[in-house]
Amino acid sequence: MRGYHDIGGDTAGEIPQQELPWLHWEKQTEAIRNLLGDGTRRIISLDEMRRGFESFGAEKYGKHSFYRRRLESMIDILIEKGVISSRELEHAVKEKKRVWDENSKAGIE
Amino acid sequence: MTKGNDHDHDHHDHDHSEVEHEALVIEDDVGNIEGQIMIDALQSVLISRGLLTAPEVTKEIQQLESPGIHLGAKVVVKAWTDPGYKARLLSNGKSAIQEIGISVGEAQIVVVENTPTVHNLITCTLCSCYPRSILGQPPSWYISKAYRARTVREPRKVLEEFGVTLSKEIQLIVHDSNADMRYLVLPEPPANLSAMDATKLEATIGRDDLIGVSR
Amino acid sequence: MSRQDGCRFKVNDCVEILDLGKAGHVRIPFYVRGKIGLIIQYCGRYLNPEDLAVGKTSGPTIDLYRVQFNHSELWGVSENLSQDRLVIEIYDHWLKPIEKIVEES
Repeated sequence: MRGYHDIGGDTAGEIPQQELPWLHWEKQTEAIRNLLGDGTRRIISLDEMRRGFESFGAEKYGKHSFYRRRLESMIDILIEKGVISSRELEHAVKEKKRVWDENSKAGIE
Repeated sequence: MTKGNDHDHDHHDHDHSEVEHEALVIEDDVGNIEGQIMIDALQSVLISRGLLTAPEVTKEIQQLESPGIHLGAKVVVKAWTDPGYKARLLSNGKSAIQEIGISVGEAQIVVVENTPTVHNLITCTLCSCYPRSILGQPPSWYISKAYRARTVREPRKVLEEFGVTLSKEIQLIVHDSNADMRYLVLPEPPANLSAMDATKLEATIGRDDLIGVSR
Repeated sequence: MSRQDGCRFKVNDCVEILDLGKAGHVRIPFYVRGKIGLIIQYCGRYLNPEDLAVGKTSGPTIDLYRVQFNHSELWGVSENLSQDRLVIEIYDHWLKPIEKIVEES
């Protein structure tokens, strides 16, 4: 059995060498995963998170950036374990988006 | 290198020989905004469930931002200038690094030494394992599918892309960082080692030296 | 790290990497399965990532070794030089002892 993430030895093109910034949401994703995995919480381990993105399916794995994969995996595992519900998360996303859109509009005016 | 390159194979048995991996998926502005909204939403749910607090997240972000190449450079220069330390570093990387006041979160650090006849190169084919608690975040190319796929199979060609041509007399050792160990390359010291103080020496060491894509 | 009591392997042992055909999260990549290499270092005992991935944290711990391969063993004819090597970490249950035929120089 070979996972789609198990790519050692595969053909690939040139290695993209441009330097990319490490964005705030990406740091926040790492920070939250670290906290959820720490000794006081032990809610998501690194291996659970890896299992998460190894279970997405090849298409989802292929289309998302590295940190987005980690974020999506964390969400999947948290929902799987019943730590959060997809409904409460959807509600929170909607709310955050509403605020974002409002702030963007306010910025333009 | 834009988002959303769907591979055109949809059978379950991934025929790897036909798949050319997109080198690196980078989020565009929409993706980054989505990422920010999603993580903010997740954070608010976790806070409302009493699992985290916002100050904890802020503090953890600061912790993540603080390690960097300067710490790796300190370790290297100490090894260059103190043979006893170098021996301890090569024998037990984590304890030697902690000895100089750098905290190490990983299970163990294996320090691999470059010599006139040996060059070391580090990779993680399965994901992106890297000694983050010492060096900070890995560069994008390290986590790209192109680097992960090719380093274990054609490392000399990969090094050529980074401008390194290894002579035939040199043995190239690639380390796939797949389990609990994390790796740091100990580059060769400069010829004029004794002419420089520690600060100047540390300034000569870059991230690429510690991963092995420069020599 | 020094070898502990109960370690099945020591440095310079020849081993074959098994293909356990396991589904789910494993840390042994496809490209080394079925290949023969040499133990070069003992790393210690660690919890099995295959268990950790499904939330099982109570153990047992597994011996972890660094195993070295020739590129010709991994890729057949390749452009890599004969002295070049690949080293990777393998957990004990993925290893099978092999009678050494040729001395590693």
